[in-house]
Amino acid sequence: MDRRKFLKQSSLASSLFFVPSFVRAFEEVAANKLGYKRLVIIQLSGGNDGLNTVVPFRNDLYYKERPTIGLAQNDIIKLNDEVGLNASLAPLKRLYDKGYVSIINNVGYPNPIRSHFRSMDIWQTASDSNQYSQSGWIGRYLDTYGKDPHSAIEIDDSLSLAMKGERMNAIATKDPKIMYNLSKGPYLKNINKHLKDKHLSEHNLGYLYKSMIAAESSAKYIYETSKTVTSKKEYPKNKFGKQMKTTAQLINSHVQTKVYYTSLGGFDTHVNQKATQKRLLNMYAESVEAFVEDLKANNTFKDTLILTFSEFGRRVKQNASVGTDHGTANNVFIIGENLKSQGLYNNMASLSDLDDNGDLKFEIDFRTIYATVLDKWLEVDDKKVLNKSFSQLNFI
Amino acid sequence: MKANHIQHLYRRVGFGILPTALQNVSTKSKKQIVDDLIKASKDSTKLEVDISEIKDIVGGLMMSGSKLDADTRRKIQKISRQKQLELNVSWINRLANSSEVLREKMTLFWANHFVCEDNSIVYIQQFNNTLREHALGNFGDFVKAISKEAAMTKYLNTKQNRKQKPNENFARELMELFTLGEGHYTEEDIKESARAFTGYSHNLRGEFVFRKRQHDYTDKTFFEKTGNFTGEDVIDIILEKRQCAKYICTKIYRYFVNDAVSETHVNEMTDIFFKDYNIENLMQFVFTSNWFYDEKNIGSKIKSPVEFLVGLKYTVPVMFKNSRQVLQIQRLLGQTLLDPPNVAGWKGGRNWIDSNTIVLRLKLPSLLLNNAYISNVKNGNEDGFMDTNKEEFKKKYGRRFNTETDWNYFEKHFKNVLLQDMDSHILACPVNEDAKTYLQSLAKVSKQEYCIQLMSLPEYQMC
Repeated sequence: MDRRKFLKQSSLASSLFFVPSFVRAFEEVAANKLGYKRLVIIQLSGGNDGLNTVVPFRNDLYYKERPTIGLAQNDIIKLNDEVGLNASLAPLKRLYDKGYVSIINNVGYPNPIRSHFRSMDIWQTASDSNQYSQSGWIGRYLDTYGKDPHSAIEIDDSLSLAMKGERMNAIATKDPKIMYNLSKGPYLKNINKHLKDKHLSEHNLGYLYKSMIAAESSAKYIYETSKTVTSKKEYPKNKFGKQMKTTAQLINSHVQTKVYYTSLGGFDTHVNQKATQKRLLNMYAESVEAFVEDLKANNTFKDTLILTFSEFGRRVKQNASVGTDHGTANNVFIIGENLKSQGLYNNMASLSDLDDNGDLKFEIDFRTIYATVLDKWLEVDDKKVLNKSFSQLNFI
Repeated sequence: MKANHIQHLYRRVGFGILPTALQNVSTKSKKQIVDDLIKASKDSTKLEVDISEIKDIVGGLMMSGSKLDADTRRKIQKISRQKQLELNVSWINRLANSSEVLREKMTLFWANHFVCEDNSIVYIQQFNNTLREHALGNFGDFVKAISKEAAMTKYLNTKQNRKQKPNENFARELMELFTLGEGHYTEEDIKESARAFTGYSHNLRGEFVFRKRQHDYTDKTFFEKTGNFTGEDVIDIILEKRQCAKYICTKIYRYFVNDAVSETHVNEMTDIFFKDYNIENLMQFVFTSNWFYDEKNIGSKIKSPVEFLVGLKYTVPVMFKNSRQVLQIQRLLGQTLLDPPNVAGWKGGRNWIDSNTIVLRLKLPSLLLNNAYISNVKNGNEDGFMDTNKEEFKKKYGRRFNTETDWNYFEKHFKNVLLQDMDSHILACPVNEDAKTYLQSLAKVSKQEYCIQLMSLPEYQMC
C-alpha cells in the first residue's frame, strides 16, 4: 500500500492518532507543492458540428457536400488563408489573437460510435469504444489524487459519469448556497453533532454516514469559502453564462478545487442547423471571453486551463433537412495563458479520405489530450488515471 | 413467521409492508406466505398508456404503404416524448400500488438486466411489458423474446446486422451482459453467433420481422458446435452452460439478498435454476431458504432511488401535482426509469450514493411529505411553532415540490402501532447509537412527526 493511500484510509477510519503529526505535516506540504493549477472542462453536448465551427473555406469539397449549410466567406472570421472560425465565435477569436487558444483538429477514437450517450460515455470514461467503464477519468483522478470530494466540482444538479470514481465522487452543485441550505437544517446538523463515535462501520450504513458527513463538510466549505467573493464581471444572461460565472467565483475565492466541469447542450442539429449552431456557439464564446477576463482581473487565469470538447462531430455531407447527422472526429479547444502551441495545433481533417459512412477519419486520439493534461498540467501519473499509456501532445 | 422476517421478505419482494397487512399474515408459515406472494403474481397486468394517436398514424402509413416523412416522424417523436413521461409516472405508481408485488419487483430487476431504451413509446412500452410477462417465466423463452423486441434490435443494432456486413453488438452483449458474463466466451464466438442473428428486424408497429435475404444461412461454429444455427439455436447452446444459470443466480442474489455474494448459496441456487431455468421456482427457493433470513442479510442493502421513492409512497401516499417532478426527483437521485445510463445498466449499491444524493435523500421525506419540516423540539417541550413553521416552509419550498399527501391513510394503517415501536416498521436496521441518543432527546410530537424524523435518517436508506 502506498503512503498516501495508507493515510487516506487511516484518516477515514479516523485513527489519525496513529499517524505521527510530522507525517501529516509532510503530507500537507506535498499537497500544496502541487500548486493551484486548475482544469475547467466545457462539454458541448449533442455533437457540435466541428466543420462549421472551424471552417476549411478554401476546400471545394466542403461547399460541394454542404451546398446550403456551408458557411460563406462573410459568415467566417479568417484564421489564415484556408481556415476560419464561425463568425459567431468572434469573442473566441479575440482570445485567439492574444495567443490564448490552441485548436486541435480531427480528434476522435478508433471504431467510433455514433450514439450520443455511448460516445459521451467513451469521452467521459476514456475507455475504448467496445469497453463499458463505470468510472470517469476525472473520477479516477480523484480516486488517486483527490483530497476531498470538492477537489472536483461539476456546476450542475447531477454528477456526470466523468466525475465518478471507483471510490470517490466529485461534488455537483449549480449553486453552492442552495446545496449548503439543503445540507444544513437543525435536525441533520444535530445528528452530525451527536456522532461521537467516528469509528463508523465499513458496512453500507457506515458508508452512508460517512457520505453524509463528507457532504455536509464539503457543502459548508465551498459555501463559506466562496460566499464573500462576488464577480463584478458581466456575463451573458443565460444558463451557460451563469455556470461560467459560478465557476469563476469559486476559482477566484481560491476554493481548493482542481477540476471544474460545465456543459452547454443543444448541439444535435439534424434540422435547420445554421441558426441554432450560431446561437449556441455565440453563447459559448461570449461566456468564455467573460470568464477569461474575470480570471485575468483576479490573477487566476495563469493557473487555469480550459478544455472544450463534444462527443462527436457531424457528417461531412449535409442531410435533407438542412442539418447534419452524427459523425465522428471533431475539434477540441484548449484555452490558457501560457500555451506552448498557440493557434492551429495540426492540419484540418481530409474531406476526401472518408470512412464507409462518409465520416472523417480521426487523427488524434482524445486520450492523448487527457494524458497531456494529466501529466503536464495536473502533474499526476496519467497512466494511473487512464489505465493505459498514451503518447502525449505538445500544446502545454 | 417472525414479524421482522416477514418485514424483511416484503422489503425485498416488494417495497415494505404496512402494519395492518403485517398483522393479517403474521400467523401464517413462511411457506404459506411465500406461496401466497407467488400466487398473487400469477397473472401479468400490462402497463399501458394511451398510444392510439401514434398507432393510428402508423396504421395509416402501413395500410397505404407510404414511407415515414420527416414531418410525421417529428410529430410522432413529440407525442412519444410526452407519452414516455406518462409511462414513467404510471410505472412508479404501479410499483407502489400493484397486487402483483413480486412480478413488479422482478420486472424492475430485469429492466436493469436486459437494459434497453428507445425514443419510440410504442416499442419501449411493448418492451416493458415483455419484461413483465416473462419476469417469472422460463429464462430461455425470456432471452429469445428479448432478442426479437423492436427496441432491442434498434438499441443493440441487430437491425443493422446483415449477412454481408454483420454487426456484433447484440451478440457481444447477449453473452457479456445477458447470459454468461465477461470472460466466458471468445471473440470468435461473438463473430460466429452474430451471423446467427442476421436478418432480425421489426416493422413500424413494433412486430418482429425476419428478413430472410439478410440472414446468413451458412454454417457457424459456436462453442465447439457447428451447424446452420439460428439466433434461437445460439441461445439454446448458451443455456446448456451452467455458467449461464450461475451468472443469473449471482445477479439475483446481489439484488434480492446481499451485495456480498455467498458462493455456497449461489451454488445452491444454480443447482435449482440450471435444471429448467424456471425463474419462479428459483425465487421460491430463495425466499424459503433459511439463509435468506440470516441477520447479515436483513437491512443490509442500500435502496435504489426507485425503491426509496416507491417505499416512501407506499407508507405515505403522495401525489405529485406536476408529473415532471416525479421525473426530476428520479434524475436528481440518479435513476430515471426508461432512461438507463448505458447497456450495462445502473451499477447499484454504494454507487447510488454521492454527496448530492445522500443530502437529497435525507431531505426528501420532509420536503415531499411534511412541508420540508422536521420536528426537533427537546423532550418535555411542545412543538408550539410547528404549524406556523409548516406554513412558512410551505410558502418557501411548496413551489419546488408541489405534492398532496394522504396522512389519513398512514394513520389508519399505523393505528395499532405504539409510537415507540415505529422504528421497526419504518426502518430495516437498528439506528446508530449516537443518532439514537439524539432522537431520544427529542419530544415525540406525533406519529406523523416521528415518522418524518425516522425517514430523515441514513438508516431509512437501507432495506
